Amino acid sequence: MDPIFDPIAIEQWARDTGIFGMMNSKWGWPIAEIIHFFGLCLLIGTVGMFDLRMMGVARGVTMKELHRLVPFGIAGYAMCVVTGLLFVVTAPGQYLYNPAMQSKIVLMAIAGANMAMFYATAAAGVNAAGPDDLPPVRARVIGFVSLFCWLGVIVAGRLVTFFRPPEHWCLWCVS
Amino acid sequence: MDPIFSAIEQTPFSVWMREDLYAYFIALIFHSVGMALLIGGGVVVSLRGLGVARNTSFEKFRGFFPVMWFGAVMAVVSGLALLIGYPAKALTNPLFAVKFACLIGAALLVREMALRLFPVMAQGEPAPPWGRRLAIAALVLWLCGVAAGKLLLHTYTILLVS
Repeated sequence: MDPIFDPIAIEQWARDTGIFGMMNSKWGWPIAEIIHFFGLCLLIGTVGMFDLRMMGVARGVTMKELHRLVPFGIAGYAMCVVTGLLFVVTAPGQYLYNPAMQSKIVLMAIAGANMAMFYATAAAGVNAAGPDDLPPVRARVIGFVSLFCWLGVIVAGRLVTFFRPPEHWCLWCVS
Repeated sequence: MDPIFSAIEQTPFSVWMREDLYAYFIALIFHSVGMALLIGGGVVVSLRGLGVARNTSFEKFRGFFPVMWFGAVMAVVSGLALLIGYPAKALTNPLFAVKFACLIGAALLVREMALRLFPVMAQGEPAPPWGRRLAIAALVLWLCGVAAGKLLLHTYTILLVS
């Protein structure tokens, strides 16, 4: 028994609010998928390229300036979260107990913690770096972890459809 | 075209792509990562063309081109594997041509930016109006390429001919 999520109640809520109907209309799901992947491209294009710059790629581009693109990445992330929630509430049984989805959430959590670590410990050094400077080792490691996590999120996202019910992986469920 | 599709579908590689438990998914994963790197790089160059992060030299964004190339090669190779698995599914869908046209068009516009816009903006000057139009057109084509690619799964009418 799942003490946290009630998939039936979640789906009922989606039906009551009209989300289920919208997502199961002819174009609902495909349009949400388009927004989801474009959001991911914005994220990889801004945060991912910033990560690569921190790892030493594209020397000559000032990291402080490149950081101005991050709000576009945040917009992409928001697009992904909103559309991702639409997928989950429309088909909770396919997502909540799916090992790929769970891996995706874990990777996103690690990326979030890594980002907090960046702003707490490395952002000042990166902002002060010149266009041709290689950032401190800590920033390079943070960039690598971030890029690894976001590419991992894409991989896990693709694998969501690999695991179909009755695949069931509920680590928090009680018997 | 049916005999050609049928012949491709019956090659050992095509059968393996369809019937192996992992082959199709692994190709899909590589395709997604490749597309994200290609389009992600394209988006960042286009945003710079629009004037974001204008205090850094546009010319230096050339450093992201190898990442885009890496993504493009990954996307094309995995895309070919997916195509061989289900040739009729893609090649009978007009959106497949739209996807290709958009992505090739966007890549050509990025090349145009590198050839014409990079030198103009080399000194950190604002983008001229034609340069901004180029960047907007590239962004729109990247988005349309994504949209057409995603719609392929929902709009095909033929899966296999054999």
